[in-house]
Amino acid sequence: MAAPARLTPLLVVAAAIGLAAAALWVPARSPIPPAAQPPEAAAERAERELPSLGLPWGKVRGWERVNGGWTVTWQPAHGMWLVRVWVPDGPGEMSWRIDAASWLPGVRLSRRAARALTEGDEGVGQARERLGRRDWLLGDARLVGALPAGGELPTDPRRRPSPAGAVLAGLLLAGAAARHLVPGVPSRRWRQAVSWSAVALVPLLPQLSAVAPAFRAGVRPWVGELAFGGAAILLLGALVFGAQRFAAVVGRPLAGWLAVGLAAGVVAGRLQPAPWLLGVAALPLRLPALMALAVLLGWLMGLAGDGLRELARPVGRARPAVFAALGVAAVAFAGPWLGVALAVVAAAAVERGSGTGMAVAGVWGWVFGSVWALAEWEPALRDALALLLVGVGTLAAAGLAPRTAGASSPAIEES
Amino acid sequence: MNRFHYVLGVVVAAAAAVGAVALIRGRGVTGEAEAAAVARAAMERLGYAPLGEPDATFEGDQELAWALERASAGPAGAALARGEGGAVRWRLVFPAGGEAQVTVDGVVWSLRRPVPAEPGPDLFPSLAKARVEAAIAQTVPDPSRWRLVRAQSWREGAHTWERAWFVGGAGPLPPGWRRELELEMVGSSVVSWRRFVHPLGTDLGVVTGRMAELRLLRRPALLGLAIVVIGVLIAGAEAVAYRESTAVVRGLVYGAVVATAGSFAADTLASAPVQAVVLAAVVALLPAWTDLPPTRLSWGPAAGVGLAAATLAGHAAILGAGGWVPVTSPVPAGTGWERQLADAWLPALVEEPLLRGALPAFAAPLLGWWGAALLAAPIGALLHPEPAVPLLASIGLEVVLQLGLAVVARFAGVGGAVLARGTCEALVQRASFPVGWTWDRVALLGVALGTVLLLWPRRRD
Repeated sequence: MAAPARLTPLLVVAAAIGLAAAALWVPARSPIPPAAQPPEAAAERAERELPSLGLPWGKVRGWERVNGGWTVTWQPAHGMWLVRVWVPDGPGEMSWRIDAASWLPGVRLSRRAARALTEGDEGVGQARERLGRRDWLLGDARLVGALPAGGELPTDPRRRPSPAGAVLAGLLLAGAAARHLVPGVPSRRWRQAVSWSAVALVPLLPQLSAVAPAFRAGVRPWVGELAFGGAAILLLGALVFGAQRFAAVVGRPLAGWLAVGLAAGVVAGRLQPAPWLLGVAALPLRLPALMALAVLLGWLMGLAGDGLRELARPVGRARPAVFAALGVAAVAFAGPWLGVALAVVAAAAVERGSGTGMAVAGVWGWVFGSVWALAEWEPALRDALALLLVGVGTLAAAGLAPRTAGASSPAIEES
Repeated sequence: MNRFHYVLGVVVAAAAAVGAVALIRGRGVTGEAEAAAVARAAMERLGYAPLGEPDATFEGDQELAWALERASAGPAGAALARGEGGAVRWRLVFPAGGEAQVTVDGVVWSLRRPVPAEPGPDLFPSLAKARVEAAIAQTVPDPSRWRLVRAQSWREGAHTWERAWFVGGAGPLPPGWRRELELEMVGSSVVSWRRFVHPLGTDLGVVTGRMAELRLLRRPALLGLAIVVIGVLIAGAEAVAYRESTAVVRGLVYGAVVATAGSFAADTLASAPVQAVVLAAVVALLPAWTDLPPTRLSWGPAAGVGLAAATLAGHAAILGAGGWVPVTSPVPAGTGWERQLADAWLPALVEEPLLRGALPAFAAPLLGWWGAALLAAPIGALLHPEPAVPLLASIGLEVVLQLGLAVVARFAGVGGAVLARGTCEALVQRASFPVGWTWDRVALLGVALGTVLLLWPRRRD
């Protein structure tokens, strides 16, 4: 029995090295084109090349990655209007749109005047009467009062409601119930890690509002930021509360398995990157934001993994096969949810005390892999590399730390 | 000691009843009977005598009313909203034909009479413009300030119809506002007119902008409640697993009440069945949350009267300090005693068990009961604030109300907080509904319940 026991770590290390090699050297084609420039460069180009559109744009408030370009949002402090411009990475044509508050002081233009302003053809125009102004839709052109307001912006066809969110919510609920009903020794380290990650995100919230849909016409930007900040603080508070009440149990995951999780996450990120992570990677303080998000998301996936493990308990000895099948299904069908799906399955597949560590390792690698696959500007890549090095360093520290007896509670060992 | 408590109860009940009557006295939308008379007189001036008593419906343009108040500070703004601004008005439909809108201060805002069988001779084209211009005198009290901007005529049936648009400048409205009027004639008889107000964009913008901001700020509060609901789901699973003591029947009854109230109310946090299921679960779980203070229903309504007085005083304080809060009460989407009852009591039935029951039950082990109550206050404050300048004044006032409810919940439990909130909302919202004893009775329902509970003789131990 001694030989297989010694062989297992070696196999795990070999698998980790193999996956890491695959993640680093095997060419992976992401379904999303990478971003050649950060949103700041896109905003500069828009401000330089587009006319002012007859009104001050205000500050850059946010950005979003859409179809090989950045959709950048400007809003003045009074919040009366919102200017959004889609800037392609290459030399292509920019699209722009102005959304104005319904009460914006304006005029009631005749159809002929509206056509003259938009230089439109003789097509049928539609007028929309509002309190204090009349808007015109003339083909692709829009007029808000007397203000040319552009046309439609490109949208991401990949963004559609997915049942994966509902499945994940169900697994999270199951995980919370499982952690509460199945006794175990709570891990102080995970409690602290989640709490400190949530606390670390709080000062970053003003920056993070740039990647959230926090701004809208007619609402002053500080109110939008306040609404986003309030919602985020509530969510972070709920996570901290959840980390205390539904604590991950104590365990000492094998560093080799964590390395496998990290490498698998990197592969998942390269195959199916998450575009919203690219928006976070464009923030000035991207490294702490990415680290904190990886820990919090990873902890949540560990919770969902606990739920999946308990739900799969009735299948008994067939559980490894079930988890393997779920992993294959995730690769085939999960799309942009691949990283989190693999993290959940990995967390469920290992013993209970190792699940959260495995999930965090997977999400950590997925975050790095997504940024690596999508960002082509140097500061983001440099910080992504720093993120990976922090992850590898943590793994090394976990691997080199002496394994003390009794670190894992007997109650949490798998039967 | 028992005798002292009973005497104290009698005194509190009497004070609450007097206070509640004082708070609702003279509040409410006036002018229903006068509006019918004004509309009848206006139609008679056009040569048509409407038959029967009209059906009266209260309606209004909320944003317009508050924009007028914001543009003309103090009572002048509220008077404009009730009069020349045309923001709050009665719609009167006569059973034998004829319809009019009359503002609550008696300005005829629009009118349509049946087409007369003999409308008089058609206007000769060269004279039509002058006759139409002269007809404005039949519709507004200051015809000299109105000018004709556009007119059209067409032939329909046996008669020629004329339609004209007039502009009346700002008149008594704030500078930059514009009045318009559309008038229709058949033959040589005026058959209808309708007035419009075009506000200055910035005046309207302050109000609608604040309302949009408050709608956005409501989302984090809803998220907070959603998190609490998730906690309720998990607590329910735990209660089933550990076979904890629950009040299932009480929960089901409460859920049915919430569903009924939700089906009548104008504004709900979620759909009525969803609210009912969640609240049924919360109420069923209340016995399992032993950290919560015990319920003393009898003190809740009296506390609610105090909170209503504080809320109304807060409005006056903000206005007195140079800020702005709406004077004209929110215009209800419909009137009816069931709507009044549901609008007042649904927030209490839905939000109090969540904010003063479930949230403290979950958060108290980490934050303590008062810490949890402080957490609930901003969540509750963002659910229903009214626009204000500065915006934080309105939110601050709501926070004070929420803290008051937390104090009530500490000493009277979740049930006491529900009664306090319902009583408070009923008294504050009384001004949104017409004057009259019918509406007063609904507003005083909570106080009456509190009086009965306070005066009910207790068994001797």
